[in-house]
Amino acid sequence: MPAVQETIDQVRQIDVDQYKYGFETTVEMEKAPKGLSEDIIRFISAKKNEPDWMLEWRLGAYRRWLTLEEPAWARVNYPKIDFNDLYYYAAPKNQSGPMSIDDVDPEIIKTYEKLGIPLREQEILAGVQKSKVAVDAVFDSVSVVTTFKEELKKAGVIFMSISEAIREHPDLVKKYLGTVVPTTDNFYATLNSAVFTDGSFVFVPKGVRCPMELSTYFRINERDTGQFERTLIIAEEGAYVSYLEGCTAPQRDENQLHAAVVELVALDDAEIKYSTVQNWYPGDKDGKGGIYNFVTKRGDCRGKNSKISWTQVETGSAITWKYPSCILRGDNSRGEFYSIAVSNGHQQVDSGTKMIHLGKNTSSRIISKGIAAGVSQNTYRGQVSTHRKAENARNFTQCDSLLIGDRCGAHTVPYIEAKNSTSHFEHEATTSKISEDQLFYCLQRGIPEEAAIALIVNGFVKEVIQELPMEFAVEAQKLISISLEGSVG
Amino acid sequence: MNIQAGFKPTAAEAALVEAYDKQLGDLPGDGATLAARDALLSDLKTAGLPTRRIEAWHYTDLKSLLRAVPAYRDEMTASRVDPIVPGSTVLSVTNGKANLRSLQDGISVRSYADALLDGSAAERLSERDRDDAIGQINGSFVRDGLSIEFADGLEVETPIEIQSVQNCGQVSTRFPVRFGAGAKATVIERHLAVGDEAALVTSVSDVRLDDGAEITWIIFQSQGEADTHLAQFKASLGANANLRLYVINGGGKLVRQEIHVAVAGEGSNLTLRGINLLGGESHTDVTFTVGHNVPHTTSSEVIRNVVFDRAKGVFQGQIRVAPDAQKTDAKMSCNTLLLSDDADFSAKPELEIFADDVQCGHGATVIDINHTQLFYLMARGIPENKARAMLVNAFVAEIVEELEDEALVESLEGVITDWLDRHA
Amino acid sequence: MLEIKNLHARIAEDGTEIIRGLNLTVRDGEVAAIMGPNGSGKSTLSYILAGREDYEVTEGDILYNGESILELDPSERAAKGIFLAFQYPIEIPGVATMQFLKVAMNEQRKARGEDELTTPDFMRRVKEAAAELQISPEMLRRPLNVGFSGGEKKRSEILQMALLEPRLCVLDETDSGLDIDALKIVADGVNALRSPDRSVVVITHYQRLLDYIVPDTVHVLYKGQIIKSGDKTLAHDLEANGYADIIEAAA
Repeated sequence: MPAVQETIDQVRQIDVDQYKYGFETTVEMEKAPKGLSEDIIRFISAKKNEPDWMLEWRLGAYRRWLTLEEPAWARVNYPKIDFNDLYYYAAPKNQSGPMSIDDVDPEIIKTYEKLGIPLREQEILAGVQKSKVAVDAVFDSVSVVTTFKEELKKAGVIFMSISEAIREHPDLVKKYLGTVVPTTDNFYATLNSAVFTDGSFVFVPKGVRCPMELSTYFRINERDTGQFERTLIIAEEGAYVSYLEGCTAPQRDENQLHAAVVELVALDDAEIKYSTVQNWYPGDKDGKGGIYNFVTKRGDCRGKNSKISWTQVETGSAITWKYPSCILRGDNSRGEFYSIAVSNGHQQVDSGTKMIHLGKNTSSRIISKGIAAGVSQNTYRGQVSTHRKAENARNFTQCDSLLIGDRCGAHTVPYIEAKNSTSHFEHEATTSKISEDQLFYCLQRGIPEEAAIALIVNGFVKEVIQELPMEFAVEAQKLISISLEGSVG
Repeated sequence: MNIQAGFKPTAAEAALVEAYDKQLGDLPGDGATLAARDALLSDLKTAGLPTRRIEAWHYTDLKSLLRAVPAYRDEMTASRVDPIVPGSTVLSVTNGKANLRSLQDGISVRSYADALLDGSAAERLSERDRDDAIGQINGSFVRDGLSIEFADGLEVETPIEIQSVQNCGQVSTRFPVRFGAGAKATVIERHLAVGDEAALVTSVSDVRLDDGAEITWIIFQSQGEADTHLAQFKASLGANANLRLYVINGGGKLVRQEIHVAVAGEGSNLTLRGINLLGGESHTDVTFTVGHNVPHTTSSEVIRNVVFDRAKGVFQGQIRVAPDAQKTDAKMSCNTLLLSDDADFSAKPELEIFADDVQCGHGATVIDINHTQLFYLMARGIPENKARAMLVNAFVAEIVEELEDEALVESLEGVITDWLDRHA
Repeated sequence: MLEIKNLHARIAEDGTEIIRGLNLTVRDGEVAAIMGPNGSGKSTLSYILAGREDYEVTEGDILYNGESILELDPSERAAKGIFLAFQYPIEIPGVATMQFLKVAMNEQRKARGEDELTTPDFMRRVKEAAAELQISPEMLRRPLNVGFSGGEKKRSEILQMALLEPRLCVLDETDSGLDIDALKIVADGVNALRSPDRSVVVITHYQRLLDYIVPDTVHVLYKGQIIKSGDKTLAHDLEANGYADIIEAAA
């Protein structure tokens, strides 16, 4: 396990309660006025040079949203959000969309460098990373640069910001946007539909295997700003794509809202692998500040033999409310959900998945590892259901929670709904603390307690880490150890 | 009618309110008892019957499922039947009225109507929370039942069957039972219907095990195909007390059996075994919570469901470990055999853990008959339909056998086999 | 007794072909050993003989006493006298061993138009057979195969064989997981059942079992076909030289 030594090194370097991505970038910003109204939505739409149909779509969602209530079923507590006290649009001045790397404000490029995300293609090629990863960098409300666009284009893959896609590929966007997560879906998704500002668009045509990993890196920088990104990924018949998203935000005293929607569509024999390393600012040790991460992610296995796999490493955010789901519509389709959710300090996590079996011979697999430390609350909430006609649906769920310290909580709430006698569901969940025997064994071999915990936790989450693309697996392991900093003693 | 302004009560909600107004005059008790009843009914009126939006009722939307409320009737004709375990001591409640008899020294049996009349029942005539529709309905309408006390150290060999039987109408009963320190006994709480007319039955058992008591409590419900059965079993366990609770459902159109146990004394243990035999159009919901409130307690729960025809089954089970309840060991499993394409089953096993030094887990499966086992039986010459029946029976018999007491095992296996013979 | 003609069979679920043109004849009273390396199709053959649904016969036929059995389900085959001793006997919690034995014996008798056994008669038969195989009454009280050790499971299989009195016994890797003492008990049990009108097919990877259950014929199964047949000396050759030579010679 090569990451272990690195983990220990990281642990040594960092003091308790350190969020290493908490710096702020100073760039001149252009913002819409605070608050939410039809005018603000018109402003956003105009900024993006959107066609009329898009504006109407947004306004429809907004009117619907006004009739909805915030959901209350999740095990999370937070003061009521004043949706009129937020900025819904903030972009670096003179940048309302992605541009050539040479025109981007150097401060922004520096920001991404500091975060470990090189945006200059030649640097990536010259860099240590062995394989190429194309990046769409989203800074507050706007995509600032997308790398390797040309190379991808040669392979037939469209990878650009959603704002560009709305202008350049309106037919594709129109055909798929909102077909997986309708504008009426839920409070936050509906809000997102009204005000989303940017995000990524991926289209992999029939028979194409995307030649490199795609990724989007989201950064919230501006104060009092909500980030509402929208991602749409389509894999046509027989296509394959692996996509990764990462996210960070500066350290601030106030809570910031992030309400994203991600839609995936896999047609016959297509496969989409979607990985997330979520590291929004979690708030300080007293629970002050941090991101509210209210996200709707859903994949539609629309075609037969299609496959959608979600992998998530959730270490950040003050509150996480997210359930990346799969609608297994096509016969023989498969959905997977691999999750690690680490909570420390005052973090609250309510996350899991939904596997909706509609087609015949569909299968799903859920592996969830929750780790709670500090005074955090960590809930797995997952639904597995079969439709009456979904013959031979198969699900396997393994859901393990680890508690570190006696002031945190770990909760497991599965919803298992079988409506067909040929369904075969297996669900297992355990909750325990780090084994005293394992810990003692490590200590006896001279490994200090904090390192020993990192070691054991890495073992606990290994099954999920293995599902991440190689380049990110090591990074994710480090992140987990850092997130658990200060959980001992 | 003052159900929340702007909301139109359903027929059943209106009928409940109307029934209360009508029966008020002859419901036993005034003063504190009446005040408690009024408060419960008022909460019910304010919120209405629970819907699926209430998490505790997620799979049983009582508001839409409870279509009608049969009228209360004075002249009901059911009479007691033979006990499940031959030779048991029977305490019968026929048509909602307790038939008192005195038992051996050390067991005191009183009519619950007396406790309503003298007001001593009022204090515990309360709801668990605002969503406690069963507590509200039962508390509003309860007329009788049995208050039973077992003396400290009393060991009773013969099972005691509390038998509540009716043929129609409305029956609301309560059974406060206290087992003294170190008492040992087996109690069978049995609810059944005779005849085909619809009944609404509500029942609350309010059980306390003092330190070191060792009790086997078996709930066997076999209401009629048109009946609504809303029941609650609440228990609190003292130090080193041991409750072995079996819940067997084999009847009813709309059934909600709640079980709420506080494992409240150090060293105490709860063993819950549930068997749901569901057929016809039955909607049966078993909702269970166990609170591990102090260190060093254990619980284990195994629920087996067999679902035929167009039946719908629900199991919600929550293991809650309080902060500081270290060394809790709790395991829950819920296994379902779905035997018809029109049947469905929903399970929500929950862990809610606030202490770290614990071993808790749950498992849930929904399965078909095991094909390897079926092949093995058939390879030995057992025809397919018989082999299937054997495997269904084995699936539930397995947990009955844990009871060890031969007479008890045999009797329960008998009722299960009977049920399966009628439905398979 | 048994005639397998040009049998082709595959796994129903994924279509993988396992048996590819297998021919085998077993005469009345014969003990035939089928040997072969791992993955040659030995266990598959035993399952196909017993009628397991997971395999599909795509070509050829299996004749048992001159009649095709391909259309019969497992219980019908069993009632006709085909017995499979499983390599891994199945555990069935909740089914008592005694209850299982009684149902199996009586269902087979019913299928053959015979009277059911009386309880005392049944008890006597089980007791006697169990004693021969050193199976304790305590073991018989447990649920079927649950908590049995490997050796106990195999003895339980032979007990069933003795009680059900089959005409054709198929022993699938009966020696696996047995120590030498257990092996002897099992082999004695099988040998006691040898008779002119009962045939036995012994499927095994090793020659060891054949020291105790001495076969009349030995057949080598490789890639779903019998590639060589001979008498018991063939087993000794295999033990000494391995499968490679024969496989090469057949190729």
